[in-house]
Amino acid sequence: MSDDHIVKSYDEELHIINDAIVQMGSLTESLLEDSMNAITKMDKDSVSKIVESDKKINKFRASIDEQIMTLLVKRSPVAIDLRLAISTLKISQDLERIGDLAKGNAKKILPLPEDDLPPEMLNSMRRLGEAVQKQIKLSLDSYLERSTEKAIQVVKDDEQVNDLTKISIKEVLDFLAKDKKNLEFATNLLFVSKNLERAGDHITRIAENVYYLISGDYPKKNK
Amino acid sequence: MNREAKVISKNVDVFYGNKQALFDINLEIFKNEVTALIGPSGCGKSTFLRCINRMNDVIDICKISGEIEIDGFNIYKQGVDVVRLREKVGMVFQKPNPFPKSIYDNIAYGPNIHGIAQNKQELDEIVENSLKKAALWNEVKDRLNEPGTGLSGGQQQRLCIARAISINPEIILMDEPCSALDPIATAKIEELIDSLKSSYTIVIVTHSMAQAARVSQRTGFFHLGKLIEMDETDKIFKNPNNKMTQDYITGRFG
Repeated sequence: MSDDHIVKSYDEELHIINDAIVQMGSLTESLLEDSMNAITKMDKDSVSKIVESDKKINKFRASIDEQIMTLLVKRSPVAIDLRLAISTLKISQDLERIGDLAKGNAKKILPLPEDDLPPEMLNSMRRLGEAVQKQIKLSLDSYLERSTEKAIQVVKDDEQVNDLTKISIKEVLDFLAKDKKNLEFATNLLFVSKNLERAGDHITRIAENVYYLISGDYPKKNK
Repeated sequence: MNREAKVISKNVDVFYGNKQALFDINLEIFKNEVTALIGPSGCGKSTFLRCINRMNDVIDICKISGEIEIDGFNIYKQGVDVVRLREKVGMVFQKPNPFPKSIYDNIAYGPNIHGIAQNKQELDEIVENSLKKAALWNEVKDRLNEPGTGLSGGQQQRLCIARAISINPEIILMDEPCSALDPIATAKIEELIDSLKSSYTIVIVTHSMAQAARVSQRTGFFHLGKLIEMDETDKIFKNPNNKMTQDYITGRFG
């Protein structure tokens, strides 16, 4: 018994969809990294490049939607193929949202001063960003390797992201408390922290969908 | 959900001469549900279907061991009245096979020979009710005396279902009932199957995965004479337990 379909073009279509998710994932991972670098280094010049990358991610999403629709019409997929179609659709949606959040974060630095920002605050934000970047890498690995263990780890790691978000928000509020004129900057930075947390939620959903794709079930919450 | 087993197959083996066609089939078919049997050609699903009303008896070289219980009664026990059994277990075939008689007589034939109708009025009622249940009445009520063979393929198949219903069966066996029909006629039969399941227990053999997924509550997958997996249809088509089932339904079978 082989893992290939009798109809070869069906396999080709599935491979193309799989590859598109992998490419879209790696683009989103890079975008998140670039966005974090822009924030922690206050590199405003890189923002336009980030905006362009996000457009590419959006195009992937549209193309994957189209391909899944065609797959459903042509193949009436069932079992593992059906689960691939459904979970891929959801994963591409989450990747697109992560891209939007990363782009949004990068744009948030534009009105900020290039120095003067408290290093503790940037450090806490960097730590949060690193946790989210680690999370997206693991999540994409779980998809690529079809690993339920890695998918579960991503879900577990989300708690750490939430904790780091709280710390980061506290640092921003301290920054605000120091001087009322920091209000506009602080508001932007609050959004950055919150967006990173939300990106973490999307990454968690990706892992949950990878788990579903593999096992036909969603991971049980340990609560 | 409270489910009652209508048919229980226990250790059923079937041989055609020296060739074993079914190996130790154990399964349950629930009352008022549609059970689909799927599998590649020659896997034994039709052979099993025909065990349920002992249609295999007419094949000389066919030997069956094990038990098939209907309502707890073994239909292969000695002395079982096969005619009575088939009154209880109706059958619809792949190719519509109306008798070369009028539409009316196609339906009236069964009730007549089984002595179900006492008089013409009762017989008229049975014909009308059966055709209504088979969703054919409105299309044929004005031409009951015309030959059944003059109907379209889809109508002929519904006529055969009406004929099966006319003798008040409890179980209806369908052997690829839509494989000779166009999509519209198929949809009508599927709609009919859906409406019939509240009154009957239905077992359908089909080569269409999509049809099994659409019409049945439970699905059994046969391969090389063995029942590989039987489960809720939803489970089979979303996440089957057995790799062989998955390979078959997704079109990977090598």
